[in-house]
Amino acid sequence: MTSVAIPAPVKATTTPTSHLAQKAFNAGKLTVFYGVLTVVGLAFIVPYVFAVFGSLKPESSILTTPPWVPPMHPVWSNYPNAFLSDPQVATGFGRYMLNTAIVTVALTVGQVFFSMLGAYGFARLKFPGREGIFWVYLATLMVPNIVTIIPLYTEMHYFHLVNTYWGVFLPYALGTPYTIFLMRQFFKNIPQEVIDAARIDGAGDFGVLTRVVAPLSRPVLITAGLIAFVFSWNNFLWPLVIMGSQSHYLLTNGLANFNAGPGAAGYLNLEMVGAIITLVPMLVLFVVFNRYIVRSIQLTSGK
Amino acid sequence: MKQIKWLPLVASAGMLAGTLAATGAIAPPASASPTVHLTYDLWDPHEEIGYKASIAQFEKTHPGIEVTVNDVAYSAYQTKLQEEFSSGTGPDLFWVNTPWLSTWIKDGYLLGLNKYLKDWHVNLSMYYPSLVKLHEYKGVIYGIPKDWDTIAFFVNETYMKAHHLTVPANWTWNPSNGGTFLQFLKEATIDKNGVNATSPKFNGNSVATYAVTVPNAAQTGWENFWQMDGCHVIPAAWASHVSFNTTPCYQTTYFLNELMYKWHVAAPGTLLGSNGTVPNSQDQALFASGKVAMMMAGDWETTPVSELVGKKFKLGVVPLPAGPKGRWSVFNGLIDGVNPHSKNLKQALELERWLGSPASQKILGAGGYIWPAVKSLDPLFAQYWAKKGINMEPFLQEAHGNVVNWPNTPGMNQGLTDMGTTMGPIWLGSQSLSGVTSILQRAYALANHDLQAAGA
Amino acid sequence: MALATVGLGAETKAKIPKVAGAGPRSNGVRQFAKALPFIGPSMVGVALFLVVPVIFVFVLSFMNWSGAGPFTWAGIQNWTSIFEFDNAAHSLGVTAYYVLLNIPLQTVLALGLAVMLNRKRRGMAFFRVLYVAPYLSTPVAMALIWFWVFQPQSGAADRFLGIFGITGPAWLESSLWAMPVVAAVNIWQYLGFNMLFFYAGLQGIPPSLYEAAQLDGASKWSQFWRISLPLLNPTMLFVLITDVIGSFQVFDTLYVLTSGGPGTSTQVMSIQIYNVGFQGTRYGEAAALSVLLFGVILIFSVGQFLFFKNRTTYEY
Repeated sequence: MTSVAIPAPVKATTTPTSHLAQKAFNAGKLTVFYGVLTVVGLAFIVPYVFAVFGSLKPESSILTTPPWVPPMHPVWSNYPNAFLSDPQVATGFGRYMLNTAIVTVALTVGQVFFSMLGAYGFARLKFPGREGIFWVYLATLMVPNIVTIIPLYTEMHYFHLVNTYWGVFLPYALGTPYTIFLMRQFFKNIPQEVIDAARIDGAGDFGVLTRVVAPLSRPVLITAGLIAFVFSWNNFLWPLVIMGSQSHYLLTNGLANFNAGPGAAGYLNLEMVGAIITLVPMLVLFVVFNRYIVRSIQLTSGK
Repeated sequence: MKQIKWLPLVASAGMLAGTLAATGAIAPPASASPTVHLTYDLWDPHEEIGYKASIAQFEKTHPGIEVTVNDVAYSAYQTKLQEEFSSGTGPDLFWVNTPWLSTWIKDGYLLGLNKYLKDWHVNLSMYYPSLVKLHEYKGVIYGIPKDWDTIAFFVNETYMKAHHLTVPANWTWNPSNGGTFLQFLKEATIDKNGVNATSPKFNGNSVATYAVTVPNAAQTGWENFWQMDGCHVIPAAWASHVSFNTTPCYQTTYFLNELMYKWHVAAPGTLLGSNGTVPNSQDQALFASGKVAMMMAGDWETTPVSELVGKKFKLGVVPLPAGPKGRWSVFNGLIDGVNPHSKNLKQALELERWLGSPASQKILGAGGYIWPAVKSLDPLFAQYWAKKGINMEPFLQEAHGNVVNWPNTPGMNQGLTDMGTTMGPIWLGSQSLSGVTSILQRAYALANHDLQAAGA
Repeated sequence: MALATVGLGAETKAKIPKVAGAGPRSNGVRQFAKALPFIGPSMVGVALFLVVPVIFVFVLSFMNWSGAGPFTWAGIQNWTSIFEFDNAAHSLGVTAYYVLLNIPLQTVLALGLAVMLNRKRRGMAFFRVLYVAPYLSTPVAMALIWFWVFQPQSGAADRFLGIFGITGPAWLESSLWAMPVVAAVNIWQYLGFNMLFFYAGLQGIPPSLYEAAQLDGASKWSQFWRISLPLLNPTMLFVLITDVIGSFQVFDTLYVLTSGGPGTSTQVMSIQIYNVGFQGTRYGEAAALSVLLFGVILIFSVGQFLFFKNRTTYEY
């Protein structure tokens, strides 16, 4: 460390020595700092703003007015129109949203429930082959999603589940290795004494799970539920592959399909409506469950 | 503790919802319960209106049958049908377009109709013979022809008049000097300074109005020109290989590239969507907004184009120019396929019979939706549009002239898709003749592979 | 989680019911039977929807199937076909190009933002939340919005450039710009997410290390380079591996923006697998492409893991 007797040498920097100038320099640095953050923040907000503006513009002005200009006379009817589209065939976004909701609820409930069961088994039950089987689960985490799309489709063809709701959520609804891995960590950390106390009360394995382990693991259960919900809502490739009929489309492939038809160049405003309809639930989730999302990221990185 | 009690309940609810959905219990509310419910798939929302009118007639004369019309996006059509047939839920009746025809016959999606045609005493000679033949394989007929279409140019007549231009009758083109076709295109292309393409002062990088659009597509684009120079996509229907690896193919395609990037008289493919294949009818928008003076199109586009144009200018039609081998047009027609595994086969056949009948085709023709396949009903369609001031004769002339079918052989749909992607660079930028040649040779290899993989 | 540990005396331990069983082997079977209701469903799921597909994709790569009709044996024909007809080598190259455009820039930006936000200033939490918002936003929906932004002439990008008198390129229709645009959109989508990982990592570094370095006269930059970066190695490893694996599988954004075009300039492996399988109905070849992609990803992940393993320092 520096010795105290010698006065501190003048720093060889360009920092101005006057107090006021120092303050101004710091203020300047601070402005730049917040300026950079704000510009970056703008880049993140701007697409949403464009989409909201665009969704309320009529077809005639969506291509002719700049996207950052708000609509002069908002066409609120774009929203109900996009929902209904063709009532007889019901291929509007209302239908897509219903399909997505059905699939997502089934997938989320199934994935969380069966993962919970599986994680409990791997964490707290003793049985032969436990480590081996769990290693197989972990090994499958190395397999990228795209690699299994083709064989999965072939399987679904064989089971006659192509173009059905079951076909969309079943591969993910019986518990997934990732969710089981997350939950198992939590379940392992529950002190044995708490479990023992429940057993004294006469609880069997399932009772211990429902009465003790699950309530104490509420954060990881919610996190797992969030992960599953978001995954299902945003899932595109698998629904694209497995759902052929328009009436079965989810929001994601309905949106992509919207951009594929003749004349779609003129429907951009309705496409923006579709995008907003799809995004709003996710943004709401993000705001409400922000803590859990951050936590899920920390869990994933193993911190 | 109390939070967990609801967990099994929610789980069961979730599973129940899934089951209900899977069994179709959650479905759009049906009207007063009909006896038999048929599903009918198509892809054109404009023709759909006409079909719904015809089906309304059918439902009146066939009480106890209710038909649900499904409008499916064309790009999703083939996949949708394949997936539905895979899970045994295919529609009862469905439009069949030629690129998929032979594959679907092979895969068993289409019911052979010979026996029924006999029972119904259908007189096949009243239809265009080439259409009947198109949908026949090894003696089995798979559908009653119900419509036809050819390719011509929509013309912005107001623009032509304003610039004192008249489209030449009997115009010709050839790959070496472009003929009277190219000459006219140059006169009709005007840059932002008002100079047309015949002048040395013409600025090809600053064009206000292009003369024409030629898309990167077989039916509404290059197949017409290829045929006119003696280049064939396949040598015959159900061929096992493609045949567009000849000099006329390279020359003609190079000519199309020159129209866009050497003489700047055709709209560059960069304005025509992905790879210039007009997936979202970009050419219709360009034409209706006045950015191009003529648009190469099929007659089924008359309804959407006339709606887009509205009162902006007068819409006209001119026939294609004649090439070295004469004037040829792609001639196509659809059928309604009958699902052999339909749960209501009897009723589905009734619908097939109706839609193929002159009575139904009269409704569609007189409403201006499409040319009927019954030859004698042609005037109805022409008259409808004549009343609106649009002369549809050129389409009819071409139907009675030299025609070539959209290529029909298993795997051709995949082949056409691969050709579109591979030929993309020809529409997206300037190419030399050798560049075009190697691109087409690559497309040839891919298309052949597609045909082989499909067991052609 | 603060759990009160309950101390149990020996007497209570004795009252805990034991699992009854005669000998060790039937004990094992019994244990397994008891565990079955718990691990059973996920075992079925993993077997049917993960293990079987992984094995089956290898098998399928040696067969022919068109989505309807029978499966036929193809030998190694598919493996040559994917290079001769399905642009396998080209697609791998395009995918590698995408990864190169995407990962380094995204990692640097994420790290930079994490460092900036790792200060005790006002509003840091707000910005952190804001930057992560795109993470949950449905990629397909965002891609549609960006598709509009990059539309020639009418989109925001060209209009913005037009203010300065610059004519924008055809963006998604330009073989030069299409891939950079796709990479930029992906960076936009996941930048905040990656930033959070680095932020968590930075938060785990004890401030005392920085204080010691400060007293030794080290500059902020030197502190970052000599302290933060090495200690972030585990985080960096994790972020890079997951991002690279993710980049190899990019699909949603690409499908909506370019679908592999113009021409084949953005035809990454995942798009080709989809095209060959579901448009081309050549499922055997698509399976071969899938196996090829799997192999490349594995090589990459293992290589990346080994590279960082030797450089990870934990002692401090």
